[in-house]
Amino acid sequence: MLFFSFFKTLVDHEVTVELKNDISLRGTLRSVDQFLNIKLDGVSVVEEDRWPHLASVKNVFIRGSVVRYVHLPGAAVDTALLEDATRRGKWCRGLF
Amino acid sequence: MSFFGFDATLPRDRGHPTNAPGFGQAPDPFAGISRGLEDNDDDAIDFEETYDGLGDNLDETDDAFNDDTFGGGDGSQKPVGKDFDFFGQTAKVSDAINEEQLLFNRQQPPPKSVSAIAASPRETQAKPLKTGYEKYKQPGNIPDLQVNESLWGAPSKKTTATAKVGEEEITHQRHHSASRKKMMSLEEVEAAMRSKKPVAKVAPRQPPTAAAPAQQQLPSAIPLQQQVPAPPAQQPQMIPQQQLPQGPRFPQPSRTEMPVYAAQQPPQAVHRQSVTPTHTGASRPPPPPRQILQNPNRQQQHSGPRNLPYQQPAPSVIPGGLPPHASLAPLPQQLLHLSEEERTAFLIEDAKRAKRNHKIHLLSKDNGLMTPQDKNFITRIQLQQLVTATGNPNESGTDAALMEDFYYQVHNQIRGGPRQNPHQPLNSFAQTYLFRTDGTPGGVAGRRQHRGGDNHMQRMEQQVQRAVEASKARPKNNQLVLEGSLGKISFSNAKTPKPLLNFKRTEISNDPNRPHHAGRGPQSAFSAGDRKSVLHAIEQAYDTLMQIEDHERYMPLLTDGSDPTVVQRHMEWKQKMQNLNKKLWEELKIMDPIVPDAASPHPFIAFLSYAKGKKAIPRIFRHIDQDQRVIILTMIVVFLGSLDVVRFAQLQPGELQLPTAVREEVELFSQAVMPSLFAYVNEAPLNIVVGLLGIIWERVNVQAIAKTKIGLGILTMFFSRGELIRQAGDGDEREWESWSAMYNRIFDTLESCLGQIFPPSINSAEDMYVWQFLAALGVGATPEQQQRLVMAVKDRVMETVNQSKTLPPEMGTQKLGNVNLFMRSIGLDVGLLG
Repeated sequence: MLFFSFFKTLVDHEVTVELKNDISLRGTLRSVDQFLNIKLDGVSVVEEDRWPHLASVKNVFIRGSVVRYVHLPGAAVDTALLEDATRRGKWCRGLF
Repeated sequence: MSFFGFDATLPRDRGHPTNAPGFGQAPDPFAGISRGLEDNDDDAIDFEETYDGLGDNLDETDDAFNDDTFGGGDGSQKPVGKDFDFFGQTAKVSDAINEEQLLFNRQQPPPKSVSAIAASPRETQAKPLKTGYEKYKQPGNIPDLQVNESLWGAPSKKTTATAKVGEEEITHQRHHSASRKKMMSLEEVEAAMRSKKPVAKVAPRQPPTAAAPAQQQLPSAIPLQQQVPAPPAQQPQMIPQQQLPQGPRFPQPSRTEMPVYAAQQPPQAVHRQSVTPTHTGASRPPPPPRQILQNPNRQQQHSGPRNLPYQQPAPSVIPGGLPPHASLAPLPQQLLHLSEEERTAFLIEDAKRAKRNHKIHLLSKDNGLMTPQDKNFITRIQLQQLVTATGNPNESGTDAALMEDFYYQVHNQIRGGPRQNPHQPLNSFAQTYLFRTDGTPGGVAGRRQHRGGDNHMQRMEQQVQRAVEASKARPKNNQLVLEGSLGKISFSNAKTPKPLLNFKRTEISNDPNRPHHAGRGPQSAFSAGDRKSVLHAIEQAYDTLMQIEDHERYMPLLTDGSDPTVVQRHMEWKQKMQNLNKKLWEELKIMDPIVPDAASPHPFIAFLSYAKGKKAIPRIFRHIDQDQRVIILTMIVVFLGSLDVVRFAQLQPGELQLPTAVREEVELFSQAVMPSLFAYVNEAPLNIVVGLLGIIWERVNVQAIAKTKIGLGILTMFFSRGELIRQAGDGDEREWESWSAMYNRIFDTLESCLGQIFPPSINSAEDMYVWQFLAALGVGATPEQQQRLVMAVKDRVMETVNQSKTLPPEMGTQKLGNVNLFMRSIGLDVGLLG
């Protein structure tokens, strides 16, 4: 649950989601669920020249399984807390 | 009886006069005409004359049950019983709906058209007797049934009134209706006898509870009978008839039919009841009006001049039974007195109203289907689903939530993100991290949500809580291995997705035989030079640290006069805390022997050489006592020279800046470790300060550490503390002597290199710590030492002052301020320099 827990804190922050098909979408994270499906608002495509057909897309729902990377806003991440959360996760679950 | 379309009712009707010359017969003016004494009465053109009598030969002994079999019956096609209609039963809760229906039906021309019936009354008369399947042709819904009610009721009256039909038929019809009435009454009597004592005389107008549906509209019939002036002669007849509706007139057949009707038409009791006066009052010339009064469906359709006089008593009757009619503005008879315009206006308005009522009725069709309990139940289910999908808002802060959602929960409380439950107080975890990030703890104090006193909501919450707990308990065995199956069936939901990997985890704690522990004890295997083992040691310390922080939350509150169990629990808590503390202390390896000239640094120093080791210090300091703090401080001082932030932080010749990694470590150290040390030193007594300075003097290359930020910082810390103690007037003479001796020695050592302790670039604003150190040094210096101090740094002072003039005002003032910090400590001011 750590990833879910983590991404929940990024709601309303600007993230860049890089998909496995090389498309990168930048937008405001609207919501995320247990499967790390992602909803983005105010979407803009990073390389608009390459993906002109996405130029008019304003919001997207991204299935979690097609995400390669999520570029995080560094300021919104509390590293120490994340470290502790990771340690905690190691205690109790093992998975994630 | 209606199976072949024969008029099976005839024999019964025929037999009736002979068998039942009772009171019921006299009021019937047509009885003598149609039937006379015998079947072959020929007073009039009779259907009987054309009848070949074949029907008489039929074996009709069991005909009474035909209705059971075929569902037919006299006129039964029209008022199909409603007792199968559960919606109808429910809807009855409010009379309003029925009344709306009546209203509506009154407005709508009957679908099968009255005109058709009026045109060929005979045909319609015959219809009821026909097949018994009629009711299947009727639309099943209730409003239509109501329409038919008016259909069948009306024409018979109309024919009576207009006398266009054969009298015999009329009589027949009337008998027919009379028999219906009687059957109904018997049912009521029986029901009454069942429910009440047999001795009680039960009037049909007061149907017992069994005839509940009838009861509601019954009152409309009662006043009518009372109000309509009946000939005195008929009065005695009426009353017995009501009390003993099963008159001798219809001895066998009706009696056998009774149960059938009872089963089929309980709701029709109203109509049957309303028929009563018609029959009893049949001798009076115009019977219809009363029926009209009681059957509002016909009021408009058949309101003709003929009916007018008889509607006069209506107003007093109608309000009782049919409020909606009363509420309609002008009554129909009044309507007649209105002008044509007004009438049309009224009718339009009435139609509108009816239309609206109909709409409301359609919309309200499903009203009351669910009881409040049902709704609550559904709401709870929905809540539970919500809860399992998103997590229980009440749950935030509980252990389970923290375990699963630690980062989010704490992060939200620190950063003030969208809290799931804004009333949730910050828990101690959040405070831990808050203090670490030195944010301001906002809104901590007990803002415990005061819940509304809504009992239901509380119950719902409890239920949700229970449901959540139950669903929590379930996933524990979320795999089912069926016997003989090739795989495992696993249950998954959004909260606990199906685990793709499934392996057993060994317990982390207290298992010395775990693989990577095997063959080495934690102590012996630890090597400060081995990055991996150091990191592992750090992690272990963190684990313990978090256990301590966890444990801290469970501290039982101890108040004066707490009861013994609480005290007991507090003691246990304390004991456990001490154990954890001990464990942490061991894991820090701070008491490991100091090996001089060892190849690898001391374990604790190795610990501190990693960023996360540094970060742990402030958290560790919160949970250890003063003795332990001074040990840590001593350890750091002893190994000051080998601390990474000192060792690697000395600029090599020609270097203008430290490597980025080192600078980051230095920054981290001064942010994480120094405040903790400083907090301790600020309370340390003079002897400890002197002792620590002595250690520095003995073990550390003072000139070397003075060229680093951390080294200077620690020296600043001690010197300023000493000065503060001196100003406070604490400490005895001997301590001051040793302090002065120590100060002088260090001053002497440093004097020669005071020019090199500055960072090389004069432009950087980072030389503040140097000025701070110089200030701390200058405050405690003798006048002679101050002179030497000024001499040593004079160049730098002048340089900085001059440069500050070329800088933008803000930076210039800052630089000047730094210099001034030092100048003032020795009683000077940059202003004096011009």
